[in-house]
Amino acid sequence: MMHISMIELKAALRRCFEASGYFVGNYEDAADMIVWLEKHGLQGLAEFKSMLPYLCLDQDKPLSTIIYEDSGAIVIDSHNRSSLNCIAAAVDVAYLKAQDSGIATVTVRNCHNRRFVLKAITDCGRRGVSVAAYWQNGKNKVTEYTASIKAGHRYPSYSEALTDLSYSDQQQQSLTIICSARVDLLPSLKKSTAIGEIQSISAEQIAENKQRSVEQGIEISTDLWSEINRIGEGVLVESNDKSRRGAG
Amino acid sequence: MTLPASIISALHGPRALPLRAIEQVMDVERLGAMHQSRLSFMRTLMRRIMRECWQIEIDKLALDEQGYGTVIYRIKTPNRVYSFVIFSEYLADEDRNDRVIASKWDLTMALVDGVIDDTYLQMLRENVPKQEAGRVDSRVFVLSRANRSMRNFDYIVDKLASGEQPEISKLSAVGYLYRTTAVYGSGKLGMADWEKVSSCFVDFNRPFSAEMFVCLMLRNFSLLQVEHIAKHRSADSFRGMQVEIKRFIGIGNSTGLGMAPYLINHPLLINRWVEMRELALARIRLLGVVSQGLRQQLLILLERAKIYTRQTVTEDARQTDNNQKLLVDLSALAKNIQQGFNDWDSLLGWSEQHCSLQGQEMLVSLMLELYPELVDDLENYLVVDELMDLDPLMPLKKVQQIIQQRYAWALSYDFDCPQALQHFWYRSQEKMEPRLGLVNSEPGEDRQMPLGIAYEVRKCFDLVTSHLQQDPQQSTAHFVLAQPQLRGILRRVQSMNKSMYGDIQVNLLDENVLPMHLLRCKLAFFGVGKFDPKSKLWVRNTMFQGAPLLEEIGQPFNDDWFMPLAPSSSQVAES
Repeated sequence: MMHISMIELKAALRRCFEASGYFVGNYEDAADMIVWLEKHGLQGLAEFKSMLPYLCLDQDKPLSTIIYEDSGAIVIDSHNRSSLNCIAAAVDVAYLKAQDSGIATVTVRNCHNRRFVLKAITDCGRRGVSVAAYWQNGKNKVTEYTASIKAGHRYPSYSEALTDLSYSDQQQQSLTIICSARVDLLPSLKKSTAIGEIQSISAEQIAENKQRSVEQGIEISTDLWSEINRIGEGVLVESNDKSRRGAG
Repeated sequence: MTLPASIISALHGPRALPLRAIEQVMDVERLGAMHQSRLSFMRTLMRRIMRECWQIEIDKLALDEQGYGTVIYRIKTPNRVYSFVIFSEYLADEDRNDRVIASKWDLTMALVDGVIDDTYLQMLRENVPKQEAGRVDSRVFVLSRANRSMRNFDYIVDKLASGEQPEISKLSAVGYLYRTTAVYGSGKLGMADWEKVSSCFVDFNRPFSAEMFVCLMLRNFSLLQVEHIAKHRSADSFRGMQVEIKRFIGIGNSTGLGMAPYLINHPLLINRWVEMRELALARIRLLGVVSQGLRQQLLILLERAKIYTRQTVTEDARQTDNNQKLLVDLSALAKNIQQGFNDWDSLLGWSEQHCSLQGQEMLVSLMLELYPELVDDLENYLVVDELMDLDPLMPLKKVQQIIQQRYAWALSYDFDCPQALQHFWYRSQEKMEPRLGLVNSEPGEDRQMPLGIAYEVRKCFDLVTSHLQQDPQQSTAHFVLAQPQLRGILRRVQSMNKSMYGDIQVNLLDENVLPMHLLRCKLAFFGVGKFDPKSKLWVRNTMFQGAPLLEEIGQPFNDDWFMPLAPSSSQVAES
C-alpha cells in the first residue's frame, strides 16, 4: 500500500480515462466519482479495480439511448457501459423531470458499476433535490443496494443487504433513480428479505470518513496505482529534440 | 467561498459598481500587461506576516563551511507551528538546469506542519532532495527546489569574505542569489490537499500563500547562507551584508508553459482574482477622493515606477519595447496629472486614449496603492469553490444565447482558416511537461490537451444551433444525453456565465499565440517583478525583492516594498 493525495488520484484517473477514450467532461466526472467514493469511505477504488478489465471496451459501445419517456419517467439503455460514463447524464434527466413534475423516476438498464451513482445523487442533493437510488447485483445470491440524500444536504446514506430474493433478468444491471423536488426520499431495505444484517452507512459516518481522508490522504495498493498511471501514459507524447524546443 | 452580499451586489445587479467591460479586461493582451498590486499574493502574505508578527526562528543549523547541510526554521503563527526544512547539497555547474526535467538542484526544501523530530527529518532527507521522484505525507504542504545564480552567488560570497559589499549594479542586473525552478503544493507527491491546507493550516488559506511563503523563506535562507560561507572562508576580513542591500535581494524564478494550462483549467478561480482586482478599481473610481496629497503621492509612485522600469534588465526585444513604451507612458501620465485632474474616471479614460496597455495597467496598480482602505479587505475573497455543475434545466435556446453573448469573442475566430488551428498543447512523456506543438509537423495532436476553449465553444455552438432547428424546446439534459462529448464545454459555458468576467479571451491554438501573456498574468497576481522573457515560452522574474527581512518582523511596516529601487551608495553608507 502507498499514500497518495486526493488530487493526485484525481489527476491520474483523469489521464487514465482520457487515454481510454472517455470524452472531455466525462473523464473528469469519472475520476470525480471514484475519488468521491474513496474519500467518503465507500470503496471507490475497489469498484474501479473491478471494472479495469473492461475499461477500454466502453468506447466501442453505443451511446445511451432513451427507450421510453413521459413527463414523470424515462427509461434509458446504457448498452452495458460503466456508470462512470453515463450515469451523470441520466441523473441530470431525473433532476430535470423532478423540477418539472415534482417527482420523477429514471430507470437505467444495462449499466455497470452502479455504486458510482452515489456521487451523482449527492450533487443533486447539494442542488436542492432529494434522490433515492436502488439496484440489485448477483446471480446466485442477490444483494440489494439503496442510497439516498435529502434535498439541500451534503452527504447521502447508503445500505446494502444480502437477500433471499431470486435472480431477475429485469433487475440485472438495472438502476432505478427516484428524484423529487417536493419530498425527501428516505428508502430503507426490508429486513424480511435480508439474510443477516443490513449494512448501513449514515450520512454522519460518511461525513466523518471524508474528514479523515482530508486530513490523512488516501491509501492505495501500489499495483493499482501503477496500473492507473500505466494506462494514463496513453495521453503522453513521446519526447524528442524538436518537442523539447516547444517546452517552456 | 461564498461572497458576502455586499460584494455580490457590488459585482452584479442594479447596485453594481462601475466595473470595466468584460471584453476589455479579459483580452489576453491586457491580462499579459498586468503588474503586481496590493492584492498580489506576495503582498497579502507579507501583510499577514507583519500584522500577525509571525515568529520565525532557526531551530537547527547544520551547515558545513561550504554551506552544505540542513537548516530547519520554526514558524509560530497565532494559529499553529510549522517547520521549513532546507537541504543544501553540492551541485556541479554542468548539472545545474532550471528546466522541469532536471533531477538535481543546489537546494531542496519543504514546508511541514508542526515540529520535526529526527525520524521525520530522516524521512524528509530521503525524499525531499528527489523532488518528483520522492514521496512525502500530508504533513508536508509545499515542496520546492532552487539553483544558485551563477552570476551572483560566488561573487557575493567573495565580496563579503573580503570585507566588501557587492556592487549594486550587479544586483540591479540580477537581483537574487537563487532561482526557484518549481514550487509544488496542493497534494502533489503525496502532500496535503488544498482542502486540508485551507481548512487546517488557516495561516495559508489564501491562493498560493504557502508556496509564496516558501519562496520568501528561501530568500532569507539565501542571505544567511552567503554570509555563513563568507564568514567561514575568512573570519577576520568578513563583513556582513548591509541591510539595504539585503532587502534588495529577492528570489529568482523561472516560469514555463505549465502556468498556461493552469489558467485555462481554473477559469472560476482566475475570474475571482480578476473580479477582486476590478472591484477594487471600481471602488476607487466611485469612492476615491482625489486630494492634492494623493496627486503628489501618485506622482511619487510614477517616478518610482519609471526608475524601477529603467532598472529592469532584459535582453528580450518585445519586453524591451514594452518597457520603453511604459517609460513614455509614465512620463506622459505624470505630465497629465501635473496639469490637474479631479476624478479617476477621466484619468483612466485619458490613459486608455494615450497609453499602451502596459501603461494603463500600471496606472491601475498604482491607483490601488493609494487606497488601502478600499482595497485590502478584498484579499479575503480570492478563494472560490471551483464547482462546474452542468445545469440540466437550462433550455438549449438559453445556451445558444449565452454563447452568442458571452463567447462572441470565440465565435469571431475563423476556424476554417488553418492558421487558427496551427498549434496544439500536449503533455510530454518527460515528467508530463506541458509543451506546445505545431500541427502536421509534430506527433501528438491526437493526444492534445483540451485548451482550445474558443474552438470547443465554436463546435458546441454549431451543434446546439443544429439541434435547435430540429427541436427548439430541447433542454440541456436531453441534449447532453445525445451529445455526451459536449458535456465538458457546456458545463464550462454555463458556469462561466454566472461569473462576472468569464473566460480569458484567447485562441490558444492560433499560429500567433503568445503563451507569455498567460504566464505574465498569473505571475502578476503572484506579485513578481522584473519580467525577463527568455523565449515566448518561458520567463525569468524576481520575487520578494524589497520585502522586509525576517529580523524586521515586529518592526514598523508601511507595506511599501513593491517596485524596489536599487539602493544608492549614500543609503548603503548610512545603513
